Amino acid sequence: MIPENVAEFVQSPIFLSIGTRDETLRPAHAWVTGAVVAPDRETVTCFVVEERARKILSHLEANGPVAMGAGSPTHEAYQLKGRYLSSRPADDQEGAYLESRRNGWLALALRCGYPEQIARPLILGFRHQPAVAITFRVEEVFLQTPGPDAGKKIG
Amino acid sequence: MGMLPDEIKPAMEGVIPSHVVTCSRDGTPNVTTISQVYYVDPDHVALSYQFFNKTVKNIRENPHALASVISPETLEGWDLEIEYERSETSGPVFDAMDMRIEAIASITGMKGIFKLKAADIYRVKSVRKNVDERMPLAEMDG
Repeated sequence: MIPENVAEFVQSPIFLSIGTRDETLRPAHAWVTGAVVAPDRETVTCFVVEERARKILSHLEANGPVAMGAGSPTHEAYQLKGRYLSSRPADDQEGAYLESRRNGWLALALRCGYPEQIARPLILGFRHQPAVAITFRVEEVFLQTPGPDAGKKIG
Repeated sequence: MGMLPDEIKPAMEGVIPSHVVTCSRDGTPNVTTISQVYYVDPDHVALSYQFFNKTVKNIRENPHALASVISPETLEGWDLEIEYERSETSGPVFDAMDMRIEAIASITGMKGIFKLKAADIYRVKSVRKNVDERMPLAEMDG
């Protein structure tokens, strides 16, 4: 189960990315534009813009292991690892959530001191629709905040 | 002519953090944020080895990695398929990365935590501009 503080963190407007791999163990990466943790904190649904989701999904449907990184400009960071369950197109309500999340993400980056001339086009420049909702079961959670405990399994 | 075009160089200045995905021998991917993908020459980049973490462990087991970088000038994103070749603990690449990491640590309040152990050198196998992930600046302005 995902610790409560990590579930809150993952759903807050922070940097998210997903990693997968093909049958020859060559990895792939995509930015994630939002994530929702299920009430039981056992699964996560994350959103990847459709064009970028194709490669990720081909990996996930062929094998299944997935890693999602979550990091804040404050350096607090976690990684969730698990196995792919399903995917579907994001619906209109989720599209609205992704739109509002971008604004929160920008606000956080500016609060943390990112220069506006970089943060605004960087964050608002991520395509976020149409998106694919990718759901995976979380099997392990790791702390990734730089420091002596980085890499520690916490869930 | 090497794999890396000149226009990618600003993405390797450490202004915008980069992501690296690796994979263990048993097939478990690992994604991490790193402060910099360092440009070595048109066919090589270097990643900083600061802690003995999962990324380091994985690339000793499986040399294939994916680095994702963003240019602070054009805000275009790039994916680099890379393959681990060797680690350097001295020399011009190590010294330059060490100095850059000290500067990044100082700016980001991580002085004393970021410390370079080695410059891990990777051969670039392919480069792809992620035109499907980002809106061009002109499109945003419009």
